[in-house]
Amino acid sequence: MIEIRLHGRGGQGAVTASRIIAAAAFEDGRYSQAIPMYGTERRGAPLTAYVRIDNVRVRERELVHTPDYSICFDEFISMNQIIANSLKPGGVVLANTKFKAEELPLAGDIKIATVDATGIALKHLGRPITNTAILGAFAKICPEISMKGVEKAIYKYFPGRIGDMNIAAARASYEQVSELVPAINKEAPKEVVEIVSGGYGALKDVSGWRVFEPVVDEEKCIGCKNCWIYCPEAALEWTANNKPAMISRSCKGCGVCANECPVKAIEMKRVEVKKK
Amino acid sequence: MVDYEVMVGNKACAVACKLARVKVAAAFPITPQTSITEYLSELYASGEMPGFEFVNAEGELSAQIIVQAAARVGARSFTCTAGPGLQFMHHPMNDTASGRTPLVMAVVHRGLKSMQPDHSDLMDQSWLGWVHLYVENAQEILDTTIMGYKIGEDARVRLPVAVGYDGYVLSYTAEPVEIPPQDMIDNWLPPYKPPRSLFYDSPEAPIGRGGGDRGGGDPNMAWKIHHGAVEAAESVIKEVTADWAKLTGRSYGNGMIQEYKTEGAEVILTAMGTVAGSASAAVDKLWKDGKKVGLVKIRSFVPFPRKDFQELAGKYSAIGVFDRSIQPGMGGPSYREIKNSLFDTGSYPVVAGFVGGLSGKEVTVNDFVKLGEKTLEFAKAKKADAHPIWV
Amino acid sequence: MSERMTRPQIPLEEGVITPGSTCQGCGAAMAARLTFKVMGPNVIRHGIPCCPDQSSKSPSTGSVFEGGGPCLTGTARALKALGRTDIKAIAFFGDGGTYDIGFGGLMSAAQRNENVFVVTKDNEAYMNTGGQHSGGSPKYAETTTDAVGPNSRGSPVHKINAAFAFAAMNIPYIATASVAFPEDLMAKVKYAKDIEGFRILLIQSPCPVGWRYDPAKTIEVARSGVQSGIWPLYEIENGSSFKLNYKPKELKPITEYLKPQARFRHMTETEVNEIQVYTTAKWEKYLKADELKQIVF
Repeated sequence: MIEIRLHGRGGQGAVTASRIIAAAAFEDGRYSQAIPMYGTERRGAPLTAYVRIDNVRVRERELVHTPDYSICFDEFISMNQIIANSLKPGGVVLANTKFKAEELPLAGDIKIATVDATGIALKHLGRPITNTAILGAFAKICPEISMKGVEKAIYKYFPGRIGDMNIAAARASYEQVSELVPAINKEAPKEVVEIVSGGYGALKDVSGWRVFEPVVDEEKCIGCKNCWIYCPEAALEWTANNKPAMISRSCKGCGVCANECPVKAIEMKRVEVKKK
Repeated sequence: MVDYEVMVGNKACAVACKLARVKVAAAFPITPQTSITEYLSELYASGEMPGFEFVNAEGELSAQIIVQAAARVGARSFTCTAGPGLQFMHHPMNDTASGRTPLVMAVVHRGLKSMQPDHSDLMDQSWLGWVHLYVENAQEILDTTIMGYKIGEDARVRLPVAVGYDGYVLSYTAEPVEIPPQDMIDNWLPPYKPPRSLFYDSPEAPIGRGGGDRGGGDPNMAWKIHHGAVEAAESVIKEVTADWAKLTGRSYGNGMIQEYKTEGAEVILTAMGTVAGSASAAVDKLWKDGKKVGLVKIRSFVPFPRKDFQELAGKYSAIGVFDRSIQPGMGGPSYREIKNSLFDTGSYPVVAGFVGGLSGKEVTVNDFVKLGEKTLEFAKAKKADAHPIWV
Repeated sequence: MSERMTRPQIPLEEGVITPGSTCQGCGAAMAARLTFKVMGPNVIRHGIPCCPDQSSKSPSTGSVFEGGGPCLTGTARALKALGRTDIKAIAFFGDGGTYDIGFGGLMSAAQRNENVFVVTKDNEAYMNTGGQHSGGSPKYAETTTDAVGPNSRGSPVHKINAAFAFAAMNIPYIATASVAFPEDLMAKVKYAKDIEGFRILLIQSPCPVGWRYDPAKTIEVARSGVQSGIWPLYEIENGSSFKLNYKPKELKPITEYLKPQARFRHMTETEVNEIQVYTTAKWEKYLKADELKQIVF
């Protein structure tokens, strides 16, 4: 039996991806099981999903605790050791990131492959939905499933034109995924970026939720307060000099402020994920 | 032609409704049941279920009453809910049983104390006279939902059937499911006929002033349901399950219980629902280590497989009972029933009562390995720890 | 009727604790933020299951899904019995809790004219569980339980005209509001808060996930809802006095509202026309009522 753990955020399609992998394995003549782990998580909130592939019907119904593979759909979470933790010795991490495999701050007896799935998704789907944009890469590095099976399974979930677009994304990631590189770090960095989970109520920090963030051109700004009053998260502070300033921990990157600015003084720019 | 698809448990349930040619379904969305209603809505929209009426009820109370009335009038009916939604239905559910109205309801377990699954929601309904079946995987959901109509509509039973399965780890988990062909089910499950017609052009139509159906003021109603319908359900469940095995090749023990590697075992574990899957994997591990532990999966909680446990009693030196719910002040429900069943047999194996998996707490294969080992120790010591033993 | 509020009058201070757990571009989060900017501290906020919005800085309690009306009643009566009439029993519910599963209990509370203030964020479906049909779902909207196919065109019925259903209870104050018109919304919250008796404010709160549009367009969608007459802004007092708060010279075509939302994508021209005729006819009735300053039954 091989076990896979998927890390993503609501809206990136990690749960659908887990089902596509299970369906792909079944297309290839194997038994499979895809378990999502979510409660009331919203778009942007971190979540995990699990897949098992076996030659016999899967009876185990616990979550996967020591996966062979870990796939991360999110650029921000890709910088976090949680995606490499508790893998089986020699386990494989596939991360969505612009960084090279050897640059990722991940440690352990693991091998790492990377692919810029967000870039591929934005190109082929026009939206940062990275699920199918990473599945092609997974088919390349995982001998347990075939690209043919993945394509068949994608069509089951996305028939027609949407399916074509998603398969184009999957094929691009199949081509662009890096080689598997053993992790250089032997020990995980002590400083761990906190991944704030979802649920009800107020959260501490949602800065990792955003793919795009508002950049204000103070020269253009006329101080009308549209951006400030329409922000669902009160993430724009109204400063003493009558201009908005982003409160980083509160901004989810929805883009309402930029859309409502009458003079286009706000631009949504893709967030550059930085190494600590 | 037999078809296969990788689908989530909730879809398997909706597909079963289609195969059973359900005529009226009503439901209110509640996590983790929601996707059943969504799949039913899709089946309705696509026209794949001709003559099917689908109601987005404004609450579970209404959902239960809608399907109850529809079934009385003669339409095969279905509803589904979870946890608190099931509790909101409680009042009319009583009428569904007392009115001897067969229908099937999927109960996608959600614990009463959290969003995550345990069996407390359905256990809470065990006084009403419904048949309660607990299932383990998506295939069993599909099979048992269809069987549920055959069991409930049988003239000896005529009761509503609840099919319980865990939320999330089964309702939202995708796995391969074999879909039987429609004509096969059509031949096996005849169209539903209500026990008495309400149509004016039928000579048997009851005349009166209407009102809730609690047995027409019959003071012996609960006794009759217990002694007639629910007791009869036991043999009907066994017949229908055997019949289904012949039809599809898929067997679920005798319907009341399903045994796994019990032959030659020293002790047995019992489990209900999804955890039985992990328990069976644990049993494989235990046998590999030379530890002779079998598994009995309890499929029917109401009626309780009393006779089956009485037969099992003499064969094993200990029974480790696992309950995924607890009645505060009273303990694990299946533990209590099993001990009750054994009292009259004269053979007294050690019975250990484990309680775990509450509010979605994970129960792993390794947990069950430990429970098996513990039960072996209890057998040796001829004594179990006080009940309940917290897992 | 409420008094106009201007942009500089909007308090800088927030009444909610952010960031919250909502999706990006959540209309309900905006509704909560605006509402609690002016609600003040002397309230007990009631909640029933609904999609997340924002946590407010006020004390809060709640009940089961169907229990909105009775729960508020209990609080209001206790506040009276304990002599703490300085504290207001208020609610922040969803459309399902207000006019679907909780409709009966809330109607009865309105009929008893309980001293409570209900604010409803209307996102037109059960968004918390993934967008299933509620009494707030408009005709032809595709929800996850109003699938579109040869046999179904999305929601088969018009949404409940809840304001007028409550008007039939002759309660002191009913108003509608939109997140695209924050000054109007906050003026109504301020005004309604201090009225004695049952008052209700219905806020249209677009949901990018359930309505299927780009999250950046939440305000744009809400604004076109008001400008096209789909979601008119008005107030009703004592079940009859009527005032339209926003009267454009000409309504925008409803296609401006429907187009960006993929939940309406399947609609045919005939269906769009049907909704246009329905909307225009209603708008004319609102104009008439505004002219007469009252609803004529």
